[in-house]
Amino acid sequence: MNCSQVYELISEAVDRRLSGKVRQEFETHISICGQCQAEFTSEEMIKSLIQHRIPRAKMPAEVYSAVVEALAHERQSEKRSWFTAFFGQPIFNPAVALILILTIAVGMYSVVKKPLAPKLPNEKNIISQSIKNYAAVMAGSIKPKIMSHAADDVKDYLKKDVSFDISVAPTNGCDWCGGTLSEFDGVKLAHVVYKFGGEQNLLYVSQTDLDEAMKGEKIGLPTDAKDALEKTGWYFQDKPGKYNLVMWEQKHTLCTAVSKMDRQKMIAFLTDTGE
Amino acid sequence: MDILYNYAMRMTSNPDDAHDLLQETYLKAYRFWDKYEKGTNIRAWLFRIMKNTYINLYRKTVKEPDTVDYDEIKNFYNTIKDESADPNDLQEKLFGQLLDDEVAKALESLPEDFRTVVILCDIEGLTYEEIADFVECPVGTVRSRLHRGRKLLQVKLFEYAKSRGFIGKD
Ligand SMILES: [Zn+2]
Repeated sequence: MNCSQVYELISEAVDRRLSGKVRQEFETHISICGQCQAEFTSEEMIKSLIQHRIPRAKMPAEVYSAVVEALAHERQSEKRSWFTAFFGQPIFNPAVALILILTIAVGMYSVVKKPLAPKLPNEKNIISQSIKNYAAVMAGSIKPKIMSHAADDVKDYLKKDVSFDISVAPTNGCDWCGGTLSEFDGVKLAHVVYKFGGEQNLLYVSQTDLDEAMKGEKIGLPTDAKDALEKTGWYFQDKPGKYNLVMWEQKHTLCTAVSKMDRQKMIAFLTDTGE
Repeated sequence: MDILYNYAMRMTSNPDDAHDLLQETYLKAYRFWDKYEKGTNIRAWLFRIMKNTYINLYRKTVKEPDTVDYDEIKNFYNTIKDESADPNDLQEKLFGQLLDDEVAKALESLPEDFRTVVILCDIEGLTYEEIADFVECPVGTVRSRLHRGRKLLQVKLFEYAKSRGFIGKD
């Protein structure tokens, strides 16, 4: 290798892209040629300066909320509905995908903090109950009353007894799904469980009447979740390593999904239209 | 997606414009969703929307020079050659005295095409192949822009150091 060939490769060498014979020849050359060695060291130094001295700008929470609101406003003006896209409808709404990408950037839904509202007791809180139920399903202490390979079997079983719509995603890619019903202070709740390959891989979804949840008398939601649902139609929460929670409105039903799966996979599964 | 926000900041150099640029990008993506080719890299698609939006909204009308002034670098080496056995040693010391803001300002002063690949490679850590997809050019072009971008930055930093009086004193 001569000096001009080596010069051509300097950037790739700095970015550790050379391998095998080329890398060997490059290294041999710079070990004996002071000028090429200096060029290489110099570019490496510039790269490291950029890496260490220029901070990566992090999106502020206000910017996140503003963009979500702008997207929400956009879909309102177009009279497009975001969440009818869930379950059984052929159109995947772009706003869903875009908000999801935006949300990944901030890690989780973190709107500007508001003054604390009176604390919602845990037993009434749909979020803490859903997380608790997920743990119970994982531990085997809550067992589905019905289990099937067909989503419709579970849906038919659950919908007999409740007034809200029941959503069960097509079972593509999961071993089986199951369901059971319960009641809290006169409010009906439906629980759907999906089992994926592997011992610990469960996806739990609780479903209840949306108006009842928003009213907040018998069961309810923390303020930030309520705000997010009103503004965007959905809400996220996660505890890294423990669970991912995705909450959304589906007609008059409030669905709360909890799983260890990553959020993108969860949404992809729950929005699968079975095509 | 942080790449987008960071890129918006580095291109506009100010938080308000970065916010506008980000928001405009997402709204455009929403409106032109049917143009998105399913299965292709969505980050790259959004990035391209942002880049075009930036060009339309913010780019100065003056065509920026895209050549590296190699004489400047040669002069730089000649200036410092006598002062140190290893010019890189001295360069490291000189640049080490610059403030973070000055380093960022130097990057922000690079012509768009060079600034873009430097940001994507050295700050975001994307591979040459990913960058090629983001900016829609061959991998070879990414490599040469990176090389020239870093060289240009070196010249800029040298100018800052000179203006701060770190070099050239008798
Ligand atoms: Zn050489």
